Amino acid sequence: MSSLAIPSAELPSRAPLWRVVVIGLFLVFMIVPVLATALFSFSVRWDRTIWPEGFTFEWWVKVTSKTAFRNALLSSLFVSAATVAVSLALVAPTVYWLHTRLPRAKPLVEALAILPFGVPGVVLALGLIRLYSSVPLPIINTANILVASYVVITLPFMYRSVMNALEAVDTRTLSEAAQSLGANHVLVFLKVILPNIGAGVINGSLLVFSAAFAEFALANLLIGTRFKTFPMYLVEFTRFDARQASALAFISFVFAWAISLAILWVVGRGRRPSKGAGQTKPA
Amino acid sequence: MKSSSTSRWPTQAWLGLVPFLAFALAFEVAPAMMLAKSAFTGEAGLSLSNFGRAMTPAVRSAFVNSLGLSLASAASGTVLGALVAHAIVTSRNAGVRHGLTALADVTANFGGAPLAFAFIITLGSTGVVTLLLKQVGIDIYPSFRIYSIGGLAIAYVYFQMPLAVLLMIPALLGLRREWREASVSLGARPLEYWRYVAIPILRPSLLGCFFLLFANAFGAYATAWTLTGSAVNLVTVQIAALVRGEVQLDPALADAIAVLSLVIMLSCVAAYQLLVRGRGATT
Repeated sequence: MSSLAIPSAELPSRAPLWRVVVIGLFLVFMIVPVLATALFSFSVRWDRTIWPEGFTFEWWVKVTSKTAFRNALLSSLFVSAATVAVSLALVAPTVYWLHTRLPRAKPLVEALAILPFGVPGVVLALGLIRLYSSVPLPIINTANILVASYVVITLPFMYRSVMNALEAVDTRTLSEAAQSLGANHVLVFLKVILPNIGAGVINGSLLVFSAAFAEFALANLLIGTRFKTFPMYLVEFTRFDARQASALAFISFVFAWAISLAILWVVGRGRRPSKGAGQTKPA
Repeated sequence: MKSSSTSRWPTQAWLGLVPFLAFALAFEVAPAMMLAKSAFTGEAGLSLSNFGRAMTPAVRSAFVNSLGLSLASAASGTVLGALVAHAIVTSRNAGVRHGLTALADVTANFGGAPLAFAFIITLGSTGVVTLLLKQVGIDIYPSFRIYSIGGLAIAYVYFQMPLAVLLMIPALLGLRREWREASVSLGARPLEYWRYVAIPILRPSLLGCFFLLFANAFGAYATAWTLTGSAVNLVTVQIAALVRGEVQLDPALADAIAVLSLVIMLSCVAAYQLLVRGRGATT
């Protein structure tokens, strides 16, 4: 706690002790659980001794050879991809339209796009069930409702990513140049605007994909066991086989890592003056 | 051409927003309205009676637990995250700065079932760190349990702290070197610089960060469910049990609980928007 008082010690050029301690503890806290999970998934047994009693691929082979594993993985990939597709089709043109044709409506759309940050998954699930369970349409209990609800909860990521990218581009000049050459609105959007906001669109898509891939509450409450996503499959395993569950958990970690690193790479390539690292999503 | 048509036909421009507005109405606004309508409808029309009747001892304790857990994990997440962010931005080594920011970026997106399971592996009753501590003579069980609300708080800090790091880095980068030099040349000691100069400047960012983390914790479900089942009574766990029909309760009472948690969450997100985004837009 008193380390707040020490920063003046940084005037000399050597790394001061407080910083080494703070960064060291942070690294330990953030890395140990992930490392332990990875190691545990390769351990013959690791609940009596301080080091695993031998290493094996048995749990990995066991858990990945099941059909249910492949089905859950495919379900999650399918739902996440569908969410990205719907979100892109819905949000990107809307944001473009809002920015170029109807800036007056920005506060309204922005409110609708940011509010889902404040809607717990369980509450959204309850609302959707109340609203649609008596409607004679194939909505509740299908993957459709799951995709729709994922598009809602990921609206803030897609909206902010695309809007930030769009605000950094001189859309007016670009559109007018294209239109003077005879392009219509659709063509301007697809051929001129989209390539210019590519980094933002990819960034938003990756954020949406990773959020949809990891989501559990809505999947569990809206469709139950009929359509098992990867996180549901993992939770099921944590109840009866820790070693196989640890392999599944590690797969989730690697997946989340890969997407986050892809985002950092895309943002880094986007050469735009960075607004800091604050563009992320809460868990 | 384009701008004149916009002003002459404002309704035409609004048509472009119809797909987005229709989607938001169907899957975001209408479900929330449905819950609100049922929650505020008593036997004799508009009433608050459902909120009073919903406060059974179990529900009251769920709110106490959820608020306490959110408060504790948001406060410690903000303070620790700000400390780590300060260590990162004052580091002279670019590799350290980029590496740690990337780590925070990746881990802020971890959460839910895999994280909960990683903590069982690490700090569970036969967890890796638990065994290690036992070896050196520190027996943390049974006085500590990862499957309790205290254990949950530790797991929450795992995704809260990196999020705070990402939110605080831009604010800390905004602290100018001259401000410290000026206060030092006026005779301020480091502690006084922090107390009278830096912290007041950082206050909106710190508060905004706290509110976002609070909402982040309050709405979380998967982590708690995987780690503790329904052993720790939280608002989201209660709502999920109501959705699954495990607890019998008048639908209007369930909706009142959902609406109450929605109000808490939305106030936090609104506070964050006003404190951080609102300021960011004007500067």
